[in-house]
Amino acid sequence: MEAFRQEIIIGAVVGYMIFCVLTGLWAMRRTHNSSDFFIAGRGLGPIVVSLALFSSTLSGFGFVGGPGLVYSIGVSSFWMVVISSCGYALGFYLVAKRIRMIAELRDCISLPDIVAARYGSEAVRFMIAITIVLGVMGYLATQILAMAVVMQAILSGTEAFANVGLVTCVVISSAVLIFYCVTGGIIASVYTDVVQGSIMIVAGTLILFTAMNVFDGGIQEATSIILADDYETVMPYGAAGIMASLGWFFVFGLGLAGQPHLITKMMMNKNIRDNRSILPMSLFGYVMAALLWISIGIVMRAAVIDGVVDPLALPDDAASVFLSVFTNPLLAGIVFAGLFAAIMSTSDAFLNIGTAAIIHDIPKAIRGKSIENELFWARVVTVLLAIVAASFALYSHFRDATLVALLGAFGWGTFAASIFPVVAVGLNWKEATVAGAVTAIGTALTINFGSQLAGITFPYGVSGQLVAFVSSMVLFIGVSLVTKKPVLDNDIKLMMDI
Amino acid sequence: MRSKLIYIIFAVAVLMAAILLAICLAETVPDAGGRAHAEIPGLQVGGDGAARLQYIGPLAFIFQCLLLIQIALLSLLGVAERYRTSELLAYMGGTLAITLFIAWKMFSGHSAFLDTGETGYFMGFPTATAWQTYGTWLGAIPLILIYSFGFNKFFYTKEDEEKFNALLAEKANKLSEAKNPDRAT
Repeated sequence: MEAFRQEIIIGAVVGYMIFCVLTGLWAMRRTHNSSDFFIAGRGLGPIVVSLALFSSTLSGFGFVGGPGLVYSIGVSSFWMVVISSCGYALGFYLVAKRIRMIAELRDCISLPDIVAARYGSEAVRFMIAITIVLGVMGYLATQILAMAVVMQAILSGTEAFANVGLVTCVVISSAVLIFYCVTGGIIASVYTDVVQGSIMIVAGTLILFTAMNVFDGGIQEATSIILADDYETVMPYGAAGIMASLGWFFVFGLGLAGQPHLITKMMMNKNIRDNRSILPMSLFGYVMAALLWISIGIVMRAAVIDGVVDPLALPDDAASVFLSVFTNPLLAGIVFAGLFAAIMSTSDAFLNIGTAAIIHDIPKAIRGKSIENELFWARVVTVLLAIVAASFALYSHFRDATLVALLGAFGWGTFAASIFPVVAVGLNWKEATVAGAVTAIGTALTINFGSQLAGITFPYGVSGQLVAFVSSMVLFIGVSLVTKKPVLDNDIKLMMDI
Repeated sequence: MRSKLIYIIFAVAVLMAAILLAICLAETVPDAGGRAHAEIPGLQVGGDGAARLQYIGPLAFIFQCLLLIQIALLSLLGVAERYRTSELLAYMGGTLAITLFIAWKMFSGHSAFLDTGETGYFMGFPTATAWQTYGTWLGAIPLILIYSFGFNKFFYTKEDEEKFNALLAEKANKLSEAKNPDRAT
């Protein structure tokens, strides 16, 4: 079997991609209007929503960057993972019920629709839509690039495709992504998420058991090796220190409720009462899949320190080297399919919310109405958005990484700082005002983008994202308290009483 | 409670901002955010743990505790005011106590290791790290249980469902009247 390792891996990945294309074709017949395209007509069951929610949370970063971070800085990066239980809980306590109610009450199909209904303000809608578009470009570009790099690594291991270029890999991977997103919209997206999520759970569980058997003494032997080399790396705050760790605790804990690609999925369930089962199922799926993140990183760091494996060229190679050295080909095939699943499930979510912002929200904020024939334009813009993001990815790779790095600053932390106060707090506090919302979003964007542009760093590993998030929270509540109490529409007021 | 709750959340957020500022202004130590491994490229090390906590250790721990308090307060904000009963407050208080206890075991366990250089292990990790890894993960599980098992009691009761259905019916009536103005009475 070892002789056919590459063929097995390629077979698993190709099989998965064919499944995505077929799902797109099937979903196309169920997509009749823009509501179907963007929020699946609010008709999804709890299992589908749970798997879609957690698989969109764990992007390619969780399969590549996550193990790389543990390899590089140790336990510090655990904080992004272990805080998930708090993060999911807050997301459901603050957002799930209310966003679902407003969506039905006002026929909302996007997050900017929700904030426009809540605040009665097109300015807030516009700012959230712009934040989403900027974030989507950065996220999508990095996801597409990651997908292409992994595909190139897999294909170049075979004789037939030894010289395959990165551009070809970008074209192939983007084509599959575009096909099922354009044909089936969010319906294709969430049903592929179901399989993607299932693959990720299986991959995470199997990898944990494999990692536990790399050293005779299991994970404890691995952590002992790391501790003997540098104890801080395997202590609770890791190599990056206490404030970097707590920064991730804050941004990932509270910030999950501010991620547009995740909370939009909370609008899609058929029944509000399904939330009670969606929360534990999503968390369970995330925890099982994230076992891969922690176990690969720890074992690879110990293996390199112990001389079992040569030092890695890049920390992000941790997962691929682990798979080639320590796993059998079948498991490697499953995990590589899981990696593509993780990247695609996040990418399709971003394509969907980015398209909604461009064809639905920005025109509505500027002209007071969305464009005619939304479904047609949704499909056109989905293609264009993916092509622009893929071009950004290639430009970044071959010419200048600054652009994508800058857009990358509009990632999780910027969404968290901009959107959490306005949506998660604002949906539960009637006195929140438009001025508070605009100030919070403006502050979050300015600090995140400004610190990235100016190259500002804070002492003790304090991140710009943490500073932005704390500032936007304080200003959102503070400005709302000192400005005139808003007059809410009656239906929104009654909904917020429920 | 609602009118006071947002003020408490605001106060905690301001306190966190102040502590963050104090940490940024505190005397710095070399490699507080880690440094490159001397022999293996791509790896970072933490170095002298005691030195890294010398000026900011207690402040950072207070920041962590305030964050846990804020999570509990925000969770409470997500519950309608009339359902913030003493029973719910007891559950939330208990959850907060558990998470604070875990944070203390983590911080004090780390400090004890820095003093003695000795540690036990639990399920693969040094004891303090096990509190962080398993404790933080599991510490919020009561929040999940409160939501799942208490959904019909604290989050969306039958009465709430009826109110929401009434809102939807009102919306449907308005739409119908707008489409057929003659039928409006």
